[in-house]
Amino acid sequence: MSVEAPVRTARRNPLRFAIAPAHVGYFVLSALVVVLVSRATLDGYILNILMQAATYSVAVFGLSVVLGLCGQINLAQAAFFGIGAYAVGLGTVDYGLSYWLCLVIGTLAAVLAGAFLGMTTLRLGGHYLAMVTISFQQIVTLVMINAIGFTHGPDGVPRIGRPALFQTSQSYLAFAVAALAVIGYCVWHLKDTRLGRAMRAVRDNELAASVAGINVYRTKVAAFAISAVLGGLGGGLFAGGFTYVSPDQFSFAESIVFLTMALLGGVASPIGAVIGTGLLILIPEWLRFLKSVPGLYLAIYGIAVILIIVFMPEGIWGFVTSFLSRFVKPVAAASVPPLVLAPDRTGTDMVLDVKALSKHFGGLKAVDQVDFSVRRGGIHALIGPNGSGKTTTLNVISGLYRATSGNVVLGETDITNLSPHRRTWAGLGRTFQNIRLFRSMTALENVVIGAERRGNSLVAASGGYAALEERALAALDFVGLGPRANEPITRFSYGHQRLIEIARALAANPTLLLLDEPAAGLNSTEKRALHDLLERIAAQGLTILLIDHDMTLVSGAAQHITVLNFGKRIADGESMGVLRHPDVVSAYLGTET
Amino acid sequence: MTITRRGFSAALGAGIAMPAVWRSASAQGATIKIGMVLPVTGPAADSGRYALIGAKLAIEQVNKAGGILGKQIELITEDDQTTNPGAVLAFSKLASQSDIVAFLGSIRSTQNHAMAPDILKTAKPVMFGGTDPALTHMGNQWLFRCRPNDSYSGRVLADFGMKTLGKKNWAIVHSTDAFGTAGGKALSEAITKGGGTIAIDQGYANQSQDFTPVVLAVKQSGADILGSYFTFENDLGIFARQLRQLGVNIPYVGSPSIVNVVATKLAGPALYNTYGVADYAEESSDASKAFGKAYRDVAKAAPDNQASWTYDAITILAKAMNSAKTTEPKAVRDAILAIKGHPGAEGEYNFDQNGDGLHGYNVVKNEKGNIVFDKHIEFTD
Amino acid sequence: MDIALQLLFTGIGIGAVYALVALGFVLIFRATNVVNFAQGEFSMVAAFLMVVCAVDLELPYWLSFLIALGGMALLGMIFNLGVYYPLRHRSFLPVIISTIGASIFLANATLALYGPQPQVLPGWFETPGIQVGPVYLDSQYLLIIAVTIVLVAFQYWFFEHTLIGKKLQATSQDKEMASLLGIPVARMIMITFIYSALIGGIAGILVAPVLFVSIQMGSSIALKAFAATIIGGFGDVAGAIIGGLALGIIETFGAAYISVPYKDGFAFLVLVLFLIFRPQGIFGERVAEKA
Repeated sequence: MSVEAPVRTARRNPLRFAIAPAHVGYFVLSALVVVLVSRATLDGYILNILMQAATYSVAVFGLSVVLGLCGQINLAQAAFFGIGAYAVGLGTVDYGLSYWLCLVIGTLAAVLAGAFLGMTTLRLGGHYLAMVTISFQQIVTLVMINAIGFTHGPDGVPRIGRPALFQTSQSYLAFAVAALAVIGYCVWHLKDTRLGRAMRAVRDNELAASVAGINVYRTKVAAFAISAVLGGLGGGLFAGGFTYVSPDQFSFAESIVFLTMALLGGVASPIGAVIGTGLLILIPEWLRFLKSVPGLYLAIYGIAVILIIVFMPEGIWGFVTSFLSRFVKPVAAASVPPLVLAPDRTGTDMVLDVKALSKHFGGLKAVDQVDFSVRRGGIHALIGPNGSGKTTTLNVISGLYRATSGNVVLGETDITNLSPHRRTWAGLGRTFQNIRLFRSMTALENVVIGAERRGNSLVAASGGYAALEERALAALDFVGLGPRANEPITRFSYGHQRLIEIARALAANPTLLLLDEPAAGLNSTEKRALHDLLERIAAQGLTILLIDHDMTLVSGAAQHITVLNFGKRIADGESMGVLRHPDVVSAYLGTET
Repeated sequence: MTITRRGFSAALGAGIAMPAVWRSASAQGATIKIGMVLPVTGPAADSGRYALIGAKLAIEQVNKAGGILGKQIELITEDDQTTNPGAVLAFSKLASQSDIVAFLGSIRSTQNHAMAPDILKTAKPVMFGGTDPALTHMGNQWLFRCRPNDSYSGRVLADFGMKTLGKKNWAIVHSTDAFGTAGGKALSEAITKGGGTIAIDQGYANQSQDFTPVVLAVKQSGADILGSYFTFENDLGIFARQLRQLGVNIPYVGSPSIVNVVATKLAGPALYNTYGVADYAEESSDASKAFGKAYRDVAKAAPDNQASWTYDAITILAKAMNSAKTTEPKAVRDAILAIKGHPGAEGEYNFDQNGDGLHGYNVVKNEKGNIVFDKHIEFTD
Repeated sequence: MDIALQLLFTGIGIGAVYALVALGFVLIFRATNVVNFAQGEFSMVAAFLMVVCAVDLELPYWLSFLIALGGMALLGMIFNLGVYYPLRHRSFLPVIISTIGASIFLANATLALYGPQPQVLPGWFETPGIQVGPVYLDSQYLLIIAVTIVLVAFQYWFFEHTLIGKKLQATSQDKEMASLLGIPVARMIMITFIYSALIGGIAGILVAPVLFVSIQMGSSIALKAFAATIIGGFGDVAGAIIGGLALGIIETFGAAYISVPYKDGFAFLVLVLFLIFRPQGIFGERVAEKA
């Protein structure tokens, strides 16, 4: 034990001991670059290239967030960039406002537009978002060109002001690079915040994210708004840098350029964004020798985009990191105190009350007037032949389907009309028949998202990430996978992935745990281990509602069974009695009449 | 053949490194260097090619006649990608070569606006072809225009329509880009000033696929003459055809694009008997004829203003530097502004203190697809 | 009234163009769940092929047409193999980007080969149009409207009444299920791409005499056709037609009675409104979540 003790401290205080030098290093390095940029003799050409790269990078960061972290497409980044740029341009030229005020106005305008677009379309699928962003882009361009009285039209806005402190191009560039460094730092660390984790979860699996207690819609809107903010900010910086803006700089084609920059470098990280931006600004410069044939350069560019997508799906930086990660062994996890489950005990003896619950799909009554109650503590099984409505019932209880009629009450809360994440906040936990994990993350990161459930009283709010990680590790220990906590999900076997999914639900300290066919696809050893796990969970007082086909597991583990057939409840009661019930026997074996 | 991931990345790496090696191998010589920003890629790539031919033609002639201050001219070109940021990058790249003594800017006004801050900082003469009047009126003393600006084209259109054709009630159709908006405004001002009336003033967005609503509006307005500023030839072609199809046959005078080669070809008979203003008209003067002949020999195509202004820009720079006996920017500037009565391909250059070299336009007529010179209208104010 | 009739004819004509291009989108979307951003470039490439054959080489019009269609079939094949097939197991996002790359390539490769000048392609008929009462009917637009009707009828017959059409439908609905049933899914997708390239090509060849042949001709139409697809409802052939026509008419009347410069804005404004208030389109595609 004494040998492991220092490891634990290191893991518990990652900020102070492990990452802090990297943070300091980042800022020292950034400061050096800024000083270098402000002191070095740069000719106009290099200055312009750097200015463009620095300001574009900020906008591309936005795409790292919305596309990389949250998996949502945005084909209007140039429009947001333009909104920021025009705010600074028009504000300083026509209205005599200070640069800083204009920068703020531009950013606000971009975020308002972004949030509005996001709110109206993010409930729909990705294609719709693509279309809406394209439309928005076109409309913004049309307004820039045609609202001449306001935007100066196609002539553009010349002689844009800069802040008094950074009047020369070089000092302004230094300021832009400093801004880039600070924004880059924020974007870099966004993924480690609660919001960032939620975005990654949404990107990997929306459904799993929602039952892990994440408000999927709000997370997407937030990602989209952040992307718009960064677009607007980048545009504001750009306007000051080049002191001239015109509509053609913010066209749909530029949005595509931003997107390609993000994809080329790699959307997963701001480093990728900077690499991609830099390359896409430099490559056309280098390829000027191809200029004798018009179109040739862009034709090659088009082919390159396809090749990059096909052969470097994670972009250049993603390619590099995945190559490097082969040499990095995952850190063995530290030991933590054992998992404590303390399910909420408010309310009656019945933890779940399902009353006259129906779910109809058109004319099909998948669930028809089903009643049952789950007693606090112990394991309750919901069984029935294929197509009997078990999984539909579970989906209605966990909020993936909206009930046609009836009530679902958890503890003292009527959850019938709550969205899935709110049910999770209220204390519901669940797993899926076909496993739904966040596939780009490690086991630990998956479980951390579970531990982060709002209303989880077992994670101290003051403990920060360390407390979440400790809770998650304990849950993984509990299912027997603690030592492999830092391995990516893809390295785990099917059975182990199922255990991780259970650990994710346990880490949230739910009031009721819904398990959808947890034994499906497991071998007999794994099934025995699962049975043992269920008993250990129940021993801590957490109620389980189990759906499964495996009668050995059900009859061995469950004290209480509800049987459905053709969407109706046909039996309910103590296990042995129910299994011998003639209707149940005939439902499973077929009627003899 | 299969491409592996590793193979691809190696190739990508090599592809990125190569051009850098190439560039460092370029050599230097004892020449007078003139930089030129032109579109090689993007939608205006074609006009870029003509512009280059024009400039090279002039360089060849100047070099044959002894060059500038005894040295040969060398042209250094940069692609502006037909975009504003591209133009800024291209210009700043040229400007960073300190041995370049003067530049040729863009024929597109917005690009010149975009480059203007850098031009001011570089403080060397830049000849350009954009026609937005504001460019020579915003206090940037390094900009010199080798084409008449839009205030003149508008005035010439109005003057010709009202005095020569005797029509007073106008319909104006213009694109809503920088060129069309400025042109439309200049035209309507000139009409009002000359005592005419404006029945309708209609803007349209570039690359419209259909002009029926515009044509119907013109038809209904009761105008007896039509003036237009079109940017793209295909828009003009569609418009002209629909104009005739829907029975609008009033006299039509248009901005330079109406008489350019492509538009004439696309629109066919729809543009017969229309008038256009042209800064370059082959028959308008001896210098224009001479340029036209030389251009036809090299380019195997009819000459137009894309090439004539760059041709003039080079000859004017050469003349100014030779008369200033130095390439020192300030002296060259004074020498350019002192140029009077210089016979260029575009017309007779008389530089004013703003840097505008030309103050009038030629009016030409489309006679069954042939562009014929009608008259020259010059202003002195 | 005369004016409104003239506008209506133009709107329907332009709308039929959008509808034709939209038809190509819908087919690929239904088969692969991917929006093909290079659909407009199909039209552009076909129009250039026509110019090369019919104008430059002076081949007969019908022969040029067949050659152009042959070229489009080949392009559809190569497009599937190069742009879609390697990415078929990835999410829609990489595929979208890949088709964007393809559209940049096609546009600029054409530019490199043929130069940027717009070209003239003569129409099918000698007579440019006919005057019917107060309305002038452009013969090429009449042809476009007719071909759109024929193609829609053909497509209906093809999908509902032929075996291969039914196989295509099965593939688009559930690829796994289709392959279990022994339908060669990869070949079905190949056919879809070829067919969609052909339709795009036909659209391009038909509009070329009206709009001229230029590098940009495809992209500007395609963007509108996207909008038409959304308005009509993604994944529905009838929807694409109605969406296209609706858009053409809205645009033309919007330009005539509200504002010409903002003409393109109406399309996108209508699109955004549709997405907000009726995301399933006029005819509707289920956007329900699956558990």
